[in-house]
Amino acid sequence: MKTAGVLVTGVVGGLLAAPQAAPPARGNVGFNRTIRPFVANHCASCHNPQLKTGGLNLLGFSNAAAVEQNRAVWQKVLHKLRSGEMPPPAMPRPALDQVARVTAWIEARLKQSIKAEPGRVTARRLNRAEYNYTVRDLLGVEASPADDFPIDDSGYGFDNIGDVLSLSPVLMEKYLAAAEKLASLAIVTPAPIPATLERYQTETLGGAAGSPISLTRKHRFPAEAEYDFKVGVGRRPDRAPPIKLALLLDGKQVTTFDVDAWAPKPREFDVRIRVPAGEHLVAAAYLPETAEYNPASAPARPAFPKPREDAVEKYMRDRKIKDNLVMDYIEIRGPFNAAPPPPPESHRRIFVCGHLRSNHDPGCARTIVTSLARRAWRRPATAAEVDELLPFTDIARKQGESFEQGIRLALEAMLISPHFLFRIERDPPSGAGGPVHRVSDLELASRLSYFLWSSIPDEELLAAAERRQLRKPAAFMQQIRRMLADLKSQRLVENFGAQWLQLRNLRGVQPDPQRFPEFNEELRDSMHRETLLFFEAILREDRSILDFLDADFTFVNERLARLYGIPGVTGSEFRRVTLKGEQRGGVLTHASVLTVSSHPTRTSPVLRGKWILETLLNAPPPPPPPGVQQTLNEASSGKTGTLRQLLEKHRSSPSCYTCHARMDPLGFGLENYNAIGAWRTHEGEHLLDSTGTLPDGQSFRGPAQLKAILKRDRDAFARGLTEKLLTFALGRGVEEYDQPAVDAIGRQLAAKQYRFSALVEGIVNSMPFQMRRSAKGGDSQ
Amino acid sequence: MRRQHLPRRTVLQGLGTAIALPLLDAMTPAFGSSGKDKPRSPLRLAFVYAPNGMIMEHWTPAQEGRDYVLPRILEPLASHRDSLLILSGLAQKNGLGLGDGPGDHARAAASYLTGVHPKKTGGADIQCGVSVDQLAAQVLGKETRLPSLELSLEDARQVVNCDVGYSCAYTNSISWRGPSSPMPPEVNPRLVFERLFGGADSGEDPATRARRQLYRQSLLDYVHRDTNHLKANLGASDRRKIDEYLFAIRDIEKRIQSAEQHSRATAPSLGKPSGIPVDYGEHARLMFDLMAVAFQADLTRIATFMLGRELSMRTYREIGITDAHHGLTHHQGNAQMIAKVLQINCYHAGLFAHFIEKLKSIPDGDGALLDHVMILYGSGLSDGNQHLHHDLPVLVAGSRRFRLGRHLRYAAETPLTNLFLTLLDRFGVNVESLGDSAGRLQGLGDA
Repeated sequence: MKTAGVLVTGVVGGLLAAPQAAPPARGNVGFNRTIRPFVANHCASCHNPQLKTGGLNLLGFSNAAAVEQNRAVWQKVLHKLRSGEMPPPAMPRPALDQVARVTAWIEARLKQSIKAEPGRVTARRLNRAEYNYTVRDLLGVEASPADDFPIDDSGYGFDNIGDVLSLSPVLMEKYLAAAEKLASLAIVTPAPIPATLERYQTETLGGAAGSPISLTRKHRFPAEAEYDFKVGVGRRPDRAPPIKLALLLDGKQVTTFDVDAWAPKPREFDVRIRVPAGEHLVAAAYLPETAEYNPASAPARPAFPKPREDAVEKYMRDRKIKDNLVMDYIEIRGPFNAAPPPPPESHRRIFVCGHLRSNHDPGCARTIVTSLARRAWRRPATAAEVDELLPFTDIARKQGESFEQGIRLALEAMLISPHFLFRIERDPPSGAGGPVHRVSDLELASRLSYFLWSSIPDEELLAAAERRQLRKPAAFMQQIRRMLADLKSQRLVENFGAQWLQLRNLRGVQPDPQRFPEFNEELRDSMHRETLLFFEAILREDRSILDFLDADFTFVNERLARLYGIPGVTGSEFRRVTLKGEQRGGVLTHASVLTVSSHPTRTSPVLRGKWILETLLNAPPPPPPPGVQQTLNEASSGKTGTLRQLLEKHRSSPSCYTCHARMDPLGFGLENYNAIGAWRTHEGEHLLDSTGTLPDGQSFRGPAQLKAILKRDRDAFARGLTEKLLTFALGRGVEEYDQPAVDAIGRQLAAKQYRFSALVEGIVNSMPFQMRRSAKGGDSQ
Repeated sequence: MRRQHLPRRTVLQGLGTAIALPLLDAMTPAFGSSGKDKPRSPLRLAFVYAPNGMIMEHWTPAQEGRDYVLPRILEPLASHRDSLLILSGLAQKNGLGLGDGPGDHARAAASYLTGVHPKKTGGADIQCGVSVDQLAAQVLGKETRLPSLELSLEDARQVVNCDVGYSCAYTNSISWRGPSSPMPPEVNPRLVFERLFGGADSGEDPATRARRQLYRQSLLDYVHRDTNHLKANLGASDRRKIDEYLFAIRDIEKRIQSAEQHSRATAPSLGKPSGIPVDYGEHARLMFDLMAVAFQADLTRIATFMLGRELSMRTYREIGITDAHHGLTHHQGNAQMIAKVLQINCYHAGLFAHFIEKLKSIPDGDGALLDHVMILYGSGLSDGNQHLHHDLPVLVAGSRRFRLGRHLRYAAETPLTNLFLTLLDRFGVNVESLGDSAGRLQGLGDA
């Protein structure tokens, strides 16, 4: 069970503090002064040696050391006191400041006696996003097979938690199908394109009615190759003058034919021409033999048929020629003698011996398989492992299939192997290490790449790990900076950012269309995009993480700008805008965040307060104790005045008040934003009241002052974000034994102006990221 | 796998357009069966889950026995009352906190079919129990192409945070293959269809298909060998992951072998669902139809279907409800909110009625498909407002192996798992105990 969030609560002052308490006295003095009398007065009537209610005798603890030695028991005591669950409702209530003193003392003792250790991450299966990125980076194919995989369960707010990611038979089935599909996409055997015949008739071309004198048609040429063109023309009357017929490609004349004066029958003219692959405009037209007409000065493509016709008509009219210049059809047959297509990017990555276009050398099989397995499995494959993969080329050959098919099968085998699907970390050979060990260089490389890129290490990182360069501080830091600068770090924004800020919930919100008619899919997408662009700007520009709390810029398109009341933004493109005034700035004022923390029909100060505690401070309020109604009946009140009054009821009960004293005012500070994040000063005819007073006595009016308070308590935010990012980076929950590492990262952050890179560097250099507990040191059970 | 005869044009409705069934070999007359020698239909088992509890005063009939007055929520099922057996008084005690504090929704979902108290964890070391459907699948799943089918209407990708202190694994699935292995449900009808009837391989010539099977077999042999090397030297939780992997591999191997024994006729070009319908009702009906057709073609005999997940924040605009479901269930006696929850409960029951109708309309063996399906419909909470885990709203529908058309009340706190043991008995799966079970449920009627 996660304890970090509980622990941090109240250690820092300000926002998270319960009603103010004096700093706890140390050691046994504190135990005797604070704990002993409290236990005697409020706990001992049940938790005594005789009754041992719930199996607990609190009188058995006689000094501070006993508390530290029984962490689990006292964690529970802390939790029950803080949630108001204890003492039970029928018993006399201790004063709030008394509870605060007791919990602060317990917490400080527990924190002081934490032993740092690196923890042990369970083998992590690639989740859906990681699978898609991994196969793209590995093979260079544009495919997202994981979109059809079953959803990944999440834990601790993220969907990359090793213990939670299970592998069902359905998923295995999909892995097998995806491997087959990927192998056939990545290794293509160029099949000759069969020649086809396309005939474009004048009737279908809609040229000048009756007797069109030119034809134009777009044709797709499947390959660079030779094509046979045939132009069919109608019969011409007696004594008509000779005339030239031209074939044009993209407006350029490629050849001409002489059409005799006397043509009693329809005739065909043909020619074979080499054409580059792609779409081209094919035209056939009569050329008037006049000085005033110069094909070279013919207008550009889209307009050319018309003036040409005019010119021919004028020529005829001037000479009083009656003719019957009928164009019947153009036929295109081909391709013939096609040039081989350029090999796809995937071949470059797979056929490392060369011969990208087929004609592979079977002797290369070992080289190909060795190189591919190394990249797919994020480590060099052993000779024995390669020996197991090579027979696939024989299996295919025995079926009368190509060498490429054999490599395809070997690739499929790699893609369904646990070495690919899981990130498995091994303990050092027995004897080495001890209770904890450093993860290997290669394991560290994978930890880095899946943290920052949600994908495999690239060649540079993999090679550095193989050369055992990663443990050199300068080389390590250089890799981190390089990886953050790489465009692939955008995936960190998408996978971490969208889950941290709960943006993924945006997909499911359904604001009431009657109250919020302006909400539509475009706005939903725009909201999402704004926050991701904002996060990415903090990463790319290495800004302070405090910008998340407040910033003077954001990204909007027209749709969002309209919601925000920002003038002068048109079109669906996003652009960076500098914010003026106090309405917007920082994620708390983003429509995305304000919408996911609202009900479909209205705002909820409780949900927004909870969002701040949970997301920004990683101090989720404990849920209401059993038996307490989960939600005050907010919905029954339409008017904000009564909503505030209703929430005042939280004060009447101490078990509600301990947490709602923090949650509710934070939420009220954001009441100037409606349930989809638009600014408002009134609700109905009521003037909105966005004032709040926090448990420690700080009061504020409106979002700007609320943000100022959050910024003053910057270390609480920095700590919250650190714990969230560490959870994502490790693929496991942050535990009590990680707290020293979190503290250390916090100190580095403060020393480096809270830069985003300092946070990432702090995490990748931390003990839990660099090390692992050995199995013999006790497996996580 | 035994063949059964299906009419050539069995039509799935629900997507607006009709879907013709592929030409499975199941549709050609079964070998050796003549008119008078009809095959005995196998029994199927389905669990349909409605989230967030019910308005119980409108679920539980006031009277017991045959002549009860149909409560509001069950009104949409009025024309099927002879096919229903309403069971009151059953409880899932392991959904209670038992010292674990809040998290009733997660526990309701996780305990519902397992009878086990789930371990409270946000992620590390997930522990629940094997669910009743998977117990059945372990024994009878090998008779069919798919051992079991898991469906849901709620895309859990939209949900990052689940019940406090509990990983989303506990609320995303109600089916558990092992204590740490939930069976993720499929939400997309297109993917369900592909799973049932095959995706790309329709239209393949026999030689290509045979080659593909050979390749698949050699791939599976390879990973089998390879993974056994790997297993040595792993810690316990890593080994659990690899065991899960190996189980999945073996499962596919078994299925390939059974596919070889029963090489199917190639499906003609067929319309398949294009994705997830926007309308909730359409989505639900389509999934029910797919479930019915899977039973009909004997592609599986065991299915679970979640109409939503616990804590579902869905709004039901289709029926004019713009508030989130979970929020509404904490109505605290507010009449308007109760009315809306009731409306959702009735809506779900109406969609379930569609399933019953569908099963009634499909001939199977000596009667209708409904006669050969045992369905449990219900929720893991009774009163969602107070998170109660006793007197759960459950009913059994379908098979004549029970004396239907009645409302029975059991002693308070009778384990729901007792009912599961009885269901498994009828299903031919003999299990000594399941979760907190304490014997069989009496009075359901003849086997």
